This record gives sequence, C-alpha cells and structure tokens, in this order.
Amino acid sequence: MVKRFCIVAGVILSLMVMVSCAKKAVKEEPLVTGKAEEGVLGKPGEEAERAKIEEKSLEASLEKKEYPGIEGVFLESSLLNDIHFAFDRYDLTPKAREILSQNADLLLQHSRVKIQIEGHCDDRGTIEYNLALGERRANTTKEYLISLGVSPDRVSTISYGEEMPVDPRQNEEAWAKNRRSHFIILSR
Amino acid sequence: MGVRVIFVLICLLCTFISATVSVARVYIDIESPELQPLPIAVAQFKDVEGSQPNLGHEILKISTNDLTISGFFEIIPRSEFPRETNALADPPDYGSWLGSRAEALVTGGYSSSGTEFTIEFRLFDLVDKAFVGGKRYTGSTKNFRDIIHRVANEITYLITREKGIFDTKIAFVSNTSGNKEIYIVDFDGHNLRQITNNGSINLSPAWSPDGRIIAFTTYIKRNPDLYLFDLARSVQVRLSTHPGLNAAPAWSPDGNEMALMMRREGNSEIFIINRDGTHPKRLTKSWSSEASPTWSPDGRKIAFVSDRAGSPQIYTMDRGGRNIKRLTFSGSYNASPSWSPKGDRIAYCGRMDGRFQIFTISPDGMWTRRLTENSRNNESPTWSPDGRFIAFSSTREGRSHIYVMNANGANQRRLTATRGEESSPTWSPRMDR
Repeated sequence: MVKRFCIVAGVILSLMVMVSCAKKAVKEEPLVTGKAEEGVLGKPGEEAERAKIEEKSLEASLEKKEYPGIEGVFLESSLLNDIHFAFDRYDLTPKAREILSQNADLLLQHSRVKIQIEGHCDDRGTIEYNLALGERRANTTKEYLISLGVSPDRVSTISYGEEMPVDPRQNEEAWAKNRRSHFIILSR
Repeated sequence: MGVRVIFVLICLLCTFISATVSVARVYIDIESPELQPLPIAVAQFKDVEGSQPNLGHEILKISTNDLTISGFFEIIPRSEFPRETNALADPPDYGSWLGSRAEALVTGGYSSSGTEFTIEFRLFDLVDKAFVGGKRYTGSTKNFRDIIHRVANEITYLITREKGIFDTKIAFVSNTSGNKEIYIVDFDGHNLRQITNNGSINLSPAWSPDGRIIAFTTYIKRNPDLYLFDLARSVQVRLSTHPGLNAAPAWSPDGNEMALMMRREGNSEIFIINRDGTHPKRLTKSWSSEASPTWSPDGRKIAFVSDRAGSPQIYTMDRGGRNIKRLTFSGSYNASPSWSPKGDRIAYCGRMDGRFQIFTISPDGMWTRRLTENSRNNESPTWSPDGRFIAFSSTREGRSHIYVMNANGANQRRLTATRGEESSPTWSPRMDR
C-alpha cells in the first residue's frame, strides 16, 4: 500500500517537476503559495510521511539516562555521535566536522530537541586546567553546530574536565576515547 | 591629662614588651640554611590523678612525632635519659643531665575526667639550667589530639619564635566511596573526616583564611557550581551558580573575596566574587583558557594558568587584572600554581618527559627549583601555613595519594591512603591563634 502510494507520489512529483520546468522556460511563477502547492501536488503527504519515519527513528534511537549524583533524567540518541580531540587541543578534526554535520542535520530535522554538549578530557594534566579545556571543547563544538544553522538557544554546554572517562584505562586508546564532546538531549 | 597618662602607660608597656622579646632566646634560627636540629628530651607525661595511665604513652607519641616532623628537633631516646625522670619536678635535677646530648627537656602532667582533658608542660634549657616556658591547656576529651598538637606548637614557638603548624589539617578529594567527595585529615594523617556526602562530583576544596569554611565545586545540579561548607555546623550553602564553570576557588588573604574560574564567551576566565557570591568581576579577557588562581599573601597579586601562548603556563597579574606577566618558559605544560605563605616562592607542577613533577619558582620568574624526581605524576602542590612543607598528590605507589615533603623537597612521605584515588590537597590555615 505504502509502496504503491510512493510510486504514485513519485510519478506526480516528476510530472510536477517537468511541468514547472516547462513553465519556468516561459516565465517565473512567484505566486505559488505553500498551501496551494501542497494542495495541488500532494507533497505534504510525502513530507509528513518522511518526517514521521524520521521521528520514529529518532524515537527508536533514544535511551533514558541519568548520572549518579547529578540531578535530572536525560536522553541519549545513538544518532548523535561523539566527536574526539587530540591531546590538549580543542580544534575540530575533519572527522569531527563530518560527524558534527550529521548531528546538525538531525537537530535541524527535529527543531524542538534541546541538547547539552559535554566537554570531556583524558586524565593527564591538571584537574582544573582540564575543566577549562572541557569548557573550550564544548564551546567549539557548539559554535560549529551554530555555523551549520542550529539555533544557539537549543544548545547548552558543560565541562566535565577529566571527571567522566568512558574508558578508565591508562593507555593511548583509552585517552583518545576520553577526549570528546558528548551530546545529551535535555528535552524534545 | 587622662590621655597623657594612657600614653605614658603605653610607652611603658612597649618598653616592657620589647625588653621581654629581646630577652627571649631564639634557640633555632629557622631561616638558617644550616639548621641544626635541637636535641630534646621529652619525658613521659605524668598521669596526675592516676585515672588514665595509658594516655601518657599516647601523648608522648603524638608530641614527639610532631616535633620530629618539624625538622627542628632531634628526639633523645628514653634509653639515653639519666634515670627515671620525675616528670613533675620543677626545676628538674639538672645535675643528672650532665653529659647527656639533650640540650632541652620537656616535662609535664595531665589529667582526664571523662569529658575534660587537662595537660601542662614545662620546657627547660639543660645547658643554661633555665626555665624557658610552660603552659596548661584544658579542653574537651574528644579534641585530645588537637590539644597535644597545641603543646607541640608552643614548644616549637619557645625554641624558634614561630608557632608550629601541628594542629593544621589538609582537605583533599578522594573517590573511595565510588565518586569524588571532599575529606579532611590532620597534619599527621589522623582524624580522617568525610565532609561532603552527596554522591556527585566534588572538586577543588579551598579553606577560608579563618579555617572555618571550605569552598568547593560540585555538579549536584548539572553545573559546576560553587558551594561553601561550614565545618563547625556541618551545613552547606550554594554560593555561585553561573552557567558554566564556578571552579577552583581561592580565598583572598583577608577572606572577603574569592578568585575563581568562570565562563565568558565560551572559555574559562579568572573572576573575583565577594564572599557572599555577589559582584563577579572579570580579571582576564582573552581567547584562551585561564585556570587555577592563587593569591599572593599580601593580596595584591594573583598567579594563574593560561594557555594564551599555546600551552598552559604560569602567569601573574595584579588583583585588578593588569600587569600580566609570564613566569614559566621551560616545558610545554606548567599548571597548578600555589603561592607560598611568605610570598617568596610559587609552587606548581610541570610536565617533564611525559610526567608531572613539583617545582617552585620565585615570583619574578628568575629562579626555578625541582622538588620531585620520580617516574610517576606529582601534582597539586599546597603550602603549610608556615611555608616549611608542601603537600601534593602523587601516583608513585600506583594509586594517587596525598604526600607531604619539606619545602626543599626532603623527607617525602605519604600522608593518607584511603582506598580510592586522592587528589587536590589544600592545607588549612593555622587553627590555633
């Protein structure tokens, strides 16, 4: 059923594109309102459907969590991935930018989601300087999301310094995992 | 007329005081680089009422341990005492000490009546055959150890003209309960007491200059907020809760303000707030991270960490945020500054060959000295209030524990060993004044 609908919608859509292209060749048509377009071309059904599917996949990706000794329950999404940093650095690697643009896409699709970015460090270096470094990592991460169009009032930041390692071991592999920005969902 | 009489009286009083002071002998010049410990005999304190005979041994143990740690005294073992010494004889039998190495003798007695404990001591100069001084202390039995430490403080004062620091405490962080909580412990490693018990992340304890309050940072409310803990009343209050860091508090020497790390424009800067948490004043303005403020003892300057030159280094500025000057230039990671109580040195930790070591540097940045030498990490130096000791954390025995050393790096020894990892020691001010 859904499949058939999609095919029909697809056909209508391609017809529409052809028609609009043909029209365009003659003259521009600025008068088309969103409403009229929706009504005539049946596009909203498809958009809504896609949004619903995305909503479902966001919902399915969520996990309720809390940290011991810290007030409040929050959500984590497997679709919002951590980014990682070099030792004593807070600049974004190409890999981190790639992940952040995926995270930004998700946030742009779900405009009600509010997140907190946690800046984390490995446990080398002093506890207090690492608090400052974590602040910096979280902020750089936030700035990049904002540059991709995410509204600043949806993003808060917190530094945990070296206080929450994901891997407590003392080796390069563990340290690399611990130097990260982590994303949690405060509300949606 | 009245005024003139008072003036004359004051003059007389001044003359009297200066006469007394000039008479008082300094047995040990603690500023001397070739300090020779004074050989001292401490007689077992006499149980005056005979009700608590076992305490005598405990008193001897606590007081001689204090005096030994100070480095000012060599404790003469009992086997070298002339014969069974009468701890209450005043004056002592000087003749019997002829030929002994001991140059000073401590005698005294105590009594304990359930809730109240009294102790008195006398200090004699065995060379000049003279009474040097003595005092009696009465207090609650539960403060027994503190009272003995006061005795050792006073003996130290009579010999060096500077009070001991044996009644001081060290606050630190331990995760022995599974999360980081604040603890305090006596200078000699006894009387471990847990201060916070909120199950959260608690960091950077800092003593108020009167020793009554510990400021610290906690994540209870999903933000690194600054809290105060009142030690006598065991009550905590929230002090500074700006979004972002409210971390690494450092009380000004007069206790009216605190320097701390706070967030501005996405990075950590040094601020000053009033002791009630109001009126945040920004001292640093940079694109870099600033951390770990520490005040000079005159309250005019603040040393701190900044990575404005690309790596964390120690800087100083005046208390208004002007005259920023870089102090450390060697190594790519210098942090955790702690200004000495006499103002002459700043202790810090610096990375060498991938490990952190404790150093001190003069406030003009001219003269650096390395104090630790092992292959593990040594961090978070903090000075004793007399400037003679530095406590720090070290992983030299595997887990991180708190250690104490002389200010020149000698006599490094472990202070505490809770089951977890210990960090961030901070030495209390003098409690006895």
